Amino acid sequence: MKVLRLPKSPKVLLGLGILGFFILMTIIGPWLAPYNPSATNFAANLTPSAHHWLGTTSLGQDIYSQLLVGARATMVVALLAGLVATILSVTIGVAAGYLGGLSDDGLSLLSNVFLAIPGLPLLIVIDSYLPVNSRSNTFVIGLIISLTGWAWGARVLRAQTMSLRNRDFVEAARIIGEKRHRIMFSEIAPNLLPVLASSFLFTVLYAIGAYVTLAYIGLTSTAVWNWGTMLYWAQANNAPLSNEWYWFVPPGICIALVGTGLALVNFGIDEFINPRLRAGGLTSRQRRKLGLPRRVRLGLTPVLRPAKAPRVSTAPAKLVSQ
Amino acid sequence: MRMIIRRLSLYALTAWVAITVNFLLPRLMPGNPVQTMIGKLTGQVTAAEMNAIQLSFGGSFKQGLFAQYFTYLTQLFHGNFGSSITLGAPVGAILRESVPWTVGLIGVSTIVSFAVGTFAGALLGWTRGSRLDSLIPTATFFQAIPYFFLGTVMLLVFASNLHWFPVLGAYSQNATPGWNWNFVGNVIRYGELPVISIVLSSIAGWMLGMRNMMITMVGEDFVLMAVAKGLPRRKVIMHAARNAILPSIANLSLAIGLVVSGALLVELVFNYPGVGDLLLQAVLNEDYPLIQGIFLVITLTVLCANLIADVVYLALDPRTRTEAAV
Amino acid sequence: MSADTFDIQAVSPMKEGPAERKGNAVANVERSEFVLEVNNFSVDYGVGENMVRAVNDVTLHLRRSKVLGVAGESGSGKSTLVYAMTRLLRAPGVISGGSVTLNFTSRDDEKEFTTLNLVTASEKELRKIRWSHVSIVLQSALSALNPVLRVGREFDEVLKTHRPDMSKAQRRARAVELLTMVGLNDDRLARYPHELSGGQRQRIMIALALALDPDLVIMDEPTTALDVVTQREIISELHDLRSRFGFALIFITHDLSLLVELADEIVVMYAGEIVERAGASELYEAPRHPYTLGLLNSFPPLHGPRRELSGIPGSPPDLSDLPAGCNFYPRCPFAMSRCENEAPALTAIENSDRSVACWLHSSDSSVPVPVELSRTVNPARNPVTTLKERP
Repeated sequence: MKVLRLPKSPKVLLGLGILGFFILMTIIGPWLAPYNPSATNFAANLTPSAHHWLGTTSLGQDIYSQLLVGARATMVVALLAGLVATILSVTIGVAAGYLGGLSDDGLSLLSNVFLAIPGLPLLIVIDSYLPVNSRSNTFVIGLIISLTGWAWGARVLRAQTMSLRNRDFVEAARIIGEKRHRIMFSEIAPNLLPVLASSFLFTVLYAIGAYVTLAYIGLTSTAVWNWGTMLYWAQANNAPLSNEWYWFVPPGICIALVGTGLALVNFGIDEFINPRLRAGGLTSRQRRKLGLPRRVRLGLTPVLRPAKAPRVSTAPAKLVSQ
Repeated sequence: MRMIIRRLSLYALTAWVAITVNFLLPRLMPGNPVQTMIGKLTGQVTAAEMNAIQLSFGGSFKQGLFAQYFTYLTQLFHGNFGSSITLGAPVGAILRESVPWTVGLIGVSTIVSFAVGTFAGALLGWTRGSRLDSLIPTATFFQAIPYFFLGTVMLLVFASNLHWFPVLGAYSQNATPGWNWNFVGNVIRYGELPVISIVLSSIAGWMLGMRNMMITMVGEDFVLMAVAKGLPRRKVIMHAARNAILPSIANLSLAIGLVVSGALLVELVFNYPGVGDLLLQAVLNEDYPLIQGIFLVITLTVLCANLIADVVYLALDPRTRTEAAV
Repeated sequence: MSADTFDIQAVSPMKEGPAERKGNAVANVERSEFVLEVNNFSVDYGVGENMVRAVNDVTLHLRRSKVLGVAGESGSGKSTLVYAMTRLLRAPGVISGGSVTLNFTSRDDEKEFTTLNLVTASEKELRKIRWSHVSIVLQSALSALNPVLRVGREFDEVLKTHRPDMSKAQRRARAVELLTMVGLNDDRLARYPHELSGGQRQRIMIALALALDPDLVIMDEPTTALDVVTQREIISELHDLRSRFGFALIFITHDLSLLVELADEIVVMYAGEIVERAGASELYEAPRHPYTLGLLNSFPPLHGPRRELSGIPGSPPDLSDLPAGCNFYPRCPFAMSRCENEAPALTAIENSDRSVACWLHSSDSSVPVPVELSRTVNPARNPVTTLKERP
């Protein structure tokens, strides 16, 4: 893990590209928006046109602006919730895995309980009890989302820490007399990074879904624009059944794209963690040229055609007899 | 057997936590929503109804916290989930109507998704590098789409526009509920699109997990042994798949939680008479007893499903029977 | 030395022509004394620029019921050779030349002999001979057995596949018989692999390998993971099993001392090539190649006089960057200037059945052969009790 190589896999590059695009949208979206998303002074239910790239809502608001402005809250909440949840899962998971014994039992129990309770219903219940003014606070929403999303990462990190703890190089560090926190930082932590990154991405994926769902149900304040709220209004005004695809399809597609981007990057991390998953070797065209079968099949070691000549050696002139 | 008892006690504990959370939440929230609600309702409901409502929260607020908790637990054990504010009926009765629909929908969807997903994943893992691999990004994309969104799109395209499927509801209006063939056939017909929608949204996870495990398995010695034994290819794949599927079953528990969440929303979209719409209405109307009841029932159902999944896992992996539990 | 795809036949006219997709098992040929003939066999890892040659131009012939030991360090190519021979080598391994011919008796008729070039065989043909004529014992029995299946299932499965006429009871009886032969109780059949000890698992692997009475059994370091005592027991059991079943055996190991007692002939591999081939006791007592000498000096025998241990200096060669001359040159204590630029080929030593690939033994060598490499075998002296002496 010394050298940070740029990923070569096209899947990962695509994923990073998609994520980069949406992070850009998060940052400069509100600037680019042509109109105020809440402004209702346009004609209602317009189909996409030059003035309104995505048309207008039933209330006369510009959908394109809503999309751009909404990116910010959606992404920020998702990333924030993902971050907080990951911090929670690292703290609890690594502690449980490293400390072992009673602390491990207690923390594992905690994670298992949170894991077993289904996330969304719990979210809905908690959110429904929130006073209405809190619901507009994206931080609060992000916080409660992270409360329901940390358990999976904790379990994975605990398992990983446990397996690392018993590895030879950690044992060696302990024998040399390294301090515990140094061991955790310089020996265990670097090996946890890929799993950590993967866990973070999964959590962000969960968070964005949870946030959008909450908004769709109407449990977040409609004052803050996000993609879920757009879907809420679209549903409330019967956009799907009135064939106003330009209203509810774009936010959904955006959500899906962000999710896909996250998943694609996760593939790359998966392949990094498990070398067997890497798609090494030749392309099928190269194989065909060499006379090899298109796919390597187990138990059928391929034979090169035409065969190659062996590395030539010279025979000694004569060998003495015994 | 010891393992099962451990899992059972874990789930019992979780159930208890869920119940306690249900009890504590309204009291922990700023602004004490329950008091406010009671205050709002005073004068609008009869004394008897007020009593019933208070009971669902643990009795009169004039008692101490522990006394309320005790009352609350006792009520639960008697099957009394309280009384819905908006619908005026006991929560238990309301739920008895809608829960079977939800359980049916989620159950069928999960089974189909799991079966098709792991099968496809096994094939993908085994025939790695073939054209089938293009399925992966497609499935990933579908996975990232929120359940309700996909449901909406499918409803729009296939039901409203193409008329391939019926539009809304669980059965046609003129069918009479009951165990007759007409009704059952109706249910199946109306259930097709929601199930397809949920399956599409969740299948990528199974596919990928199984695929990755299959690829790992192919690198294991015992699969090479199976080939060396001269077994037909089908049997070799079974050897690998039998092992590769284990983590997926272990993850079934987690997945059920996610599927439940998504399915609730799909019910909304398709107007399915399950728990989803009920929950939404309850939330909008701040019908706390109903919310609590639904939450509890969902949690308990998920825990039961988890337990079943754990038992299946124990049956399939002999190594867990002798080793200590994780 | 062209690596064509035709069968190599000792006698009998046979059909010629490219036999890639069609079957090329030829039946009813005259009995060959060799069960396995490997000719000019080469195996690479990868193709193109990053290709690494793991096995280079190996030729060996194994007679029926004889034991061939293949010795060498890790990375010498011995496992690669053997897996590639049976087409079980995993990606990115590729066979880049040569032929591997298996001569076996057809089950139905003892008189009918068939020959099959494993390199060109189709999947169907390979499946037919796999386990029924060639079986393999992998190094780690724990990972070689399916962890979720009972041991009995493995037996049942292989018997069912190749002997469909056997009934379930017969299959079970056969499994019990096999277990008894390796000294295990038949209740082991109901166990899972993780419930057994290392020695028990290895015995089960051996019993499994013999289930169909194959012509050839290949064992890849079967005792490496076991303790010395169990190792001994298993080697001795192998000897008994061999006299009983009469299979030919290829035994791969890095521990030469094991081979002395078990093998008839030993080949020593280095950097993917055979550097010496000789009878077992000949090799042990009178090695000719410096590498063999180094190997022998690395392992203390259980019996015999005490001797100072010395390893082989340096480390195994990087196969992607082999020296121009002899592969062993950088580590050879007897290296000459000639060795640096010219690679010696495996050549037979006159008046003997041995071969060696070393310039020291060339008749035009200016340097006298070192004492250690010119010992003679004393037939009267027998410092080591060999298993072969047992009645």
